[in-house]
Amino acid sequence: MRRTLTAACIALLSVLGAGCATSGTSQTKQAGTSGPANITYWSTGGDDDTRIFQKAADLYHQSHPSVTIKVQTLTWDDSYAKLLAASTSRTGPDVVSGGLTWMIQFGRRGGMVDLRKYGIESLKSQAHPQMWKSASSPDGSVYGVPLDMSTELLYYRTDLLDKAGITPPKTWDELTAAITKLKAAGVKKPFNIDWGNLDWIGYFNFLYQAGGSFYTPDCKPALNTPQAKQALNFWISLYRKYGAPTANITGENALDTGTAMTITGNWIGNTIQASKPKLKGKWAVTTLPAGPASPAAFIGGRSIGITSYSKHAAQSADFIKFLYTDQAINAMITVAKGRAVPYIPPRPDAVSRADFPPGEEAAVAQSLKTGMPAPGCPGWDEAAPNVAKQLQSAILGKTDATTALTQAAKIMQDNAA
Amino acid sequence: MATVTGRRRPATWLRRHAVSYVMLLPFVALFAGFLVWPLANSLYLSFTNFDGVNPPRLTGLENFRRLFLDDERFRHALSNTATYVVATVVLGTLLSLGLALAFRGPSWPHRIMRTIFFLPSVTSTIAIMLIWKWIFDPNDFGLANTVIQWFGHSKPVAWLATPGLSVPILVLMAVWGGMGYGMVIFVAGLNSIPEEYYEAARIDGASAWQQFRRITLPLLRPVTTYVVVTSLIGAFQIFEAVYIVFRTNANTIGGVLDSGLMIVPYLYDIGFTHFQLGYASAIAWVLFVIIFAISLVNLRIGRAFKEL
Repeated sequence: MRRTLTAACIALLSVLGAGCATSGTSQTKQAGTSGPANITYWSTGGDDDTRIFQKAADLYHQSHPSVTIKVQTLTWDDSYAKLLAASTSRTGPDVVSGGLTWMIQFGRRGGMVDLRKYGIESLKSQAHPQMWKSASSPDGSVYGVPLDMSTELLYYRTDLLDKAGITPPKTWDELTAAITKLKAAGVKKPFNIDWGNLDWIGYFNFLYQAGGSFYTPDCKPALNTPQAKQALNFWISLYRKYGAPTANITGENALDTGTAMTITGNWIGNTIQASKPKLKGKWAVTTLPAGPASPAAFIGGRSIGITSYSKHAAQSADFIKFLYTDQAINAMITVAKGRAVPYIPPRPDAVSRADFPPGEEAAVAQSLKTGMPAPGCPGWDEAAPNVAKQLQSAILGKTDATTALTQAAKIMQDNAA
Repeated sequence: MATVTGRRRPATWLRRHAVSYVMLLPFVALFAGFLVWPLANSLYLSFTNFDGVNPPRLTGLENFRRLFLDDERFRHALSNTATYVVATVVLGTLLSLGLALAFRGPSWPHRIMRTIFFLPSVTSTIAIMLIWKWIFDPNDFGLANTVIQWFGHSKPVAWLATPGLSVPILVLMAVWGGMGYGMVIFVAGLNSIPEEYYEAARIDGASAWQQFRRITLPLLRPVTTYVVVTSLIGAFQIFEAVYIVFRTNANTIGGVLDSGLMIVPYLYDIGFTHFQLGYASAIAWVLFVIIFAISLVNLRIGRAFKEL
């Protein structure tokens, strides 16, 4: 009995002690701006991305010898959790880059610095307007600014389309007609969706093309609309009636193994050139087929921000501003040339300087002009995976489009709170 | 006088035990720092709304109320986990025993076979899971689709995007990876049964099946209980397989329609992509209670059988 009591007391004391010791936010004392600063930058992506941003960091060091920036890679799979762990312990990087809207989610909890106090809004006029809007909080706070861009395009096999006697589809109707004709011409795999397959990104294209959106301008869920339903029904038909595979088949592999058309990210042009020699001269790219309201396609990309526990916030902000200069952009584009990952700068006026495979530049430019990025509304990053599950249930016939959209809107509402 | 003889003087006690306790100190420090302390922290956090960034605020039993009354995803994860645990433990134990009976001998072929079946247990789980992911990949290099094509199935199967296949695939991976370990334990158990029992049974005219049922199985009971309890605990804690094989992008866990969602990946998802570390801690403690209760029942059943 006495031992049990002792054990219980120890456990209780441990729990109480733990309660007293659990970390929380506190003001970080800033180091002086004139002294040396060693800045750590966690870059979400691959090693190629790290090399690209390290090049800019080295250039910055040349003009600011007291500031040294070390760029480290975080993979997409682990990054979000690692950033949260860093925020919890208040140790880790000064600068982080990740999903376009991530900084909002960390920032609204106190994990990121509002960059407005370092004059970062001077970049606003240079950045892609929609990207800037998505990366900024609805209350006006700027926890992150766009770092780069990517977009969804339609890649296709010219030989297979010629065989079916068709040209690349420009509208939804032309897309479904093309799939039918390709099937009739004996093409077994007419269509594939890579980036966004069974995911909200896939739905995003059709939603905006139908004239809908995920949120209203004041961040209220907006999926209970006829446009949202029309878009979902069309997307469902691509899988169930027109045979798009539900499995994730990467764009370059799809084209290489006989798929005629695939919707995917603009990076696969570089991948095809580097790793699919059989496809040489047999592929081309265009913008996504337009819907009844617009030709909008999803614009992806990363944002970059400063952690609230950084001791070098001023220098870090200055480095972020430097990333928008011609000098930094040109250097990063030079490093990106020949690598599998293209670098498209966040400044629309500098997009044409990027390294594109033949024929891709016009499609990317057009897509970025009319496209839209992920919504920057509070709670979107947390809600998105579960919204995707609702969309999946409609595609797989477990529920109807209306119910799926109602459930998705409820998830978005719950996460916004 | 009783106090003088009954209680040793502190100096004597210290002289006798000080070295032992000093030698225990490193373990105690590590145990307290890396087990007791985090456990106490998570218990405390389970009663808070901790989001990982802001200081935690006590919310009483709200996390547990939400877990049991409002959280449909948790119930789904629990149901998936229950199916997975039953299938993995039953199939895993039976196959481990079968392998042990087949390769229990001291000969080289038996040793080689035991080594082959044990290899997954000493191989990096991450590496194994990546290989499984490649096997079920729908791209042209996916082995599973290649194999079914050899047998005339021309249409590729979306292995990881078909909800009905998620749990069976997870069970297959777990049983394949775990049966070698169970086999080694069973072999040790089988070889500890005295040969005389079998000789006596054979003299009495017992068939092979009767020997297995009346001698082997009853005497393997402690080993079986050990294998069942450890595989049960391991099965409840499944994480890597779901995290690696069924993950399609940075923020998605659990596969299509959450068909592969289990409790620990759900806990991770809630904690690390939804910023709800307090709620995730509550899930962890519920999981602990479930595993503790089932293990206790298992041990009691094992003991009850022993007393029969």
